[in-house]
Amino acid sequence: MATQLLSRPEEKTERRARKVTERQRPLWLLAPGGILMVLVILIPLALALWISLIDLDQYTLRRWVEAPFIGLANYAESLDAGLLHSIWISVSFALIATIVTVPIGIAAALVTQNAYRGRGLVRAVFLIPYVLPSFVVATVWRTMLQPDGIVNSLLGQENSLWLSGSRSYWTLILVEIWAAWPFIYLMSLAALQSVDHEVHEASAVDGVTWWPKLIKVILPYLRGPVLLACLLATLNHINNFTLPFVLFGAPAPDNVNVMPMLVYVTSFQGLRFGLSAAMAVASLIIIAIPLFVYLRAVRLDVHEEGGKR
Amino acid sequence: MSANAEATRLLPRPMLVTLTVLLCAMVLVPISYIVLASLNSDVGVASGEFWPSSFSLESYRKIWTTADLSTGILNSIIVCGLTAIASALLGTTTAYVLVRYKFWGRLTILRGLVGLQSIPGTLMLLPVFVLFSSAGNYLGLTVVGTRWGLFVAYLTFALPFSTWVMVTYLRGLPRELEEAARTEGASTLVILWRIIMPLSLPAIVVAGIFAFLLGWNDVLFASVLTRPETHTAAVALQVFGASQEGGALPVYSQMMAAALVCAVPVVLLYLVFQRYLVGGLTAGGVK
Repeated sequence: MATQLLSRPEEKTERRARKVTERQRPLWLLAPGGILMVLVILIPLALALWISLIDLDQYTLRRWVEAPFIGLANYAESLDAGLLHSIWISVSFALIATIVTVPIGIAAALVTQNAYRGRGLVRAVFLIPYVLPSFVVATVWRTMLQPDGIVNSLLGQENSLWLSGSRSYWTLILVEIWAAWPFIYLMSLAALQSVDHEVHEASAVDGVTWWPKLIKVILPYLRGPVLLACLLATLNHINNFTLPFVLFGAPAPDNVNVMPMLVYVTSFQGLRFGLSAAMAVASLIIIAIPLFVYLRAVRLDVHEEGGKR
Repeated sequence: MSANAEATRLLPRPMLVTLTVLLCAMVLVPISYIVLASLNSDVGVASGEFWPSSFSLESYRKIWTTADLSTGILNSIIVCGLTAIASALLGTTTAYVLVRYKFWGRLTILRGLVGLQSIPGTLMLLPVFVLFSSAGNYLGLTVVGTRWGLFVAYLTFALPFSTWVMVTYLRGLPRELEEAARTEGASTLVILWRIIMPLSLPAIVVAGIFAFLLGWNDVLFASVLTRPETHTAAVALQVFGASQEGGALPVYSQMMAAALVCAVPVVLLYLVFQRYLVGGLTAGGVK
């Protein structure tokens, strides 16, 4: 993002500034936002952990404080209740979606890198799938993919099923790809634009043709930002609830029963809150791996760079 | 074409044209069908027409009675508007302290702000739902199904996101003005109100808009925490779609019209604030 690129204040002024500010730190200003965040985020998260250890269902819901503590029994049961299957579906779906969107996004960035008449319009078109709310994307694709919908009539197929049965998995992936590739495009475009003009000129002077230039000179610039984008995109795919929920409804067909759907159905249709909390906590562990890598890579702080990493 | 542009061109022209056309078609073919279908009649769409045999705005008129869209849109605007204002203002003050002062636990908070954006919504919704539904029992309050309950629930993801957007903006803001004001004897509140807020107004607007969009685009929380009177636009659309299932006559044209109506506020916000919002998209990776 542009603001990250702004230069830091010089070392000297910074040291002086710190002396001034350290004397009177208005930490009480953190209180309104901080207390609210503790109330609406930390307490619920802690409660989620606790719920995963108690036997909470529709009968004990109103008096959850008195629900019986059953230790790890919910976790053991979630293994039998299809958690591993859902993890497999979620992870494979997310990885396929990410892998396919990368070349599309990079190609889109490459074709809009140079100015030409109408480029603004093309860029706006590229952003459409991303700007549309997920629930709108899911609704329109659901309508188009109905057995008597437009997709079947264009393909000349009668009543072939996209939203249930074995094809639903690929439907989910295709719609996710359609909606998510512009994110990779945006991140690659930002990276492309940070390539120095001298790099282009040097390649032109050396008479390098476009393919070696692209592979050897330009793509290395994109590697870091695109890898970061891939991590974030994969996390977003794994966490996407809206798309499967609106496309297929709840409960979802077995082969699109992704983790958020499994947790949702177990808690709000099966009313087994303890069990679903255990599933949600377990799914957090899957997310923790890419999230940890992402948190290491993202720049948190102005003062952090250099030295530490 | 100048020599400069020639040097930075990355693809040979035929390939550039082919790729652009392909990518645009991938987006525009479904989009144009959606728009055309919404202007068609339900019968016309059901018979498989791509190009309508007759154009009409009939579907756009019908949806206000067949789907509960007006209630939904009104509720969405109220709840998401409040979420946007609260999280943008609180996010700014919190971010200001996080950027300008060093204290114990600061990096942990920053890391938490980023990490929270990737916490699955289901994990947050579950305890929030349990707390809300037991509030009647323990506190004598009805929370599930109310607008303010949904507002509180939306803060769980809007607040950290807005705060992070403000952090990325404020750390690029030079300190000189604040320091001049401080030597003049201005208090922190005055500095925040008179200097930081006006200077970072574009970012505050972006933080607010993103908070609004997070709420507008949410289906998960709203599908559990609302009743029919407090449905948001997203839930109204989803219920409309699900209720058409298995009906004798499919109302695909109305579905498309209703979906487009739900997208209009979002598209308008992007058109007006495009320049600012695209930067924010890459900052957080949240729609």
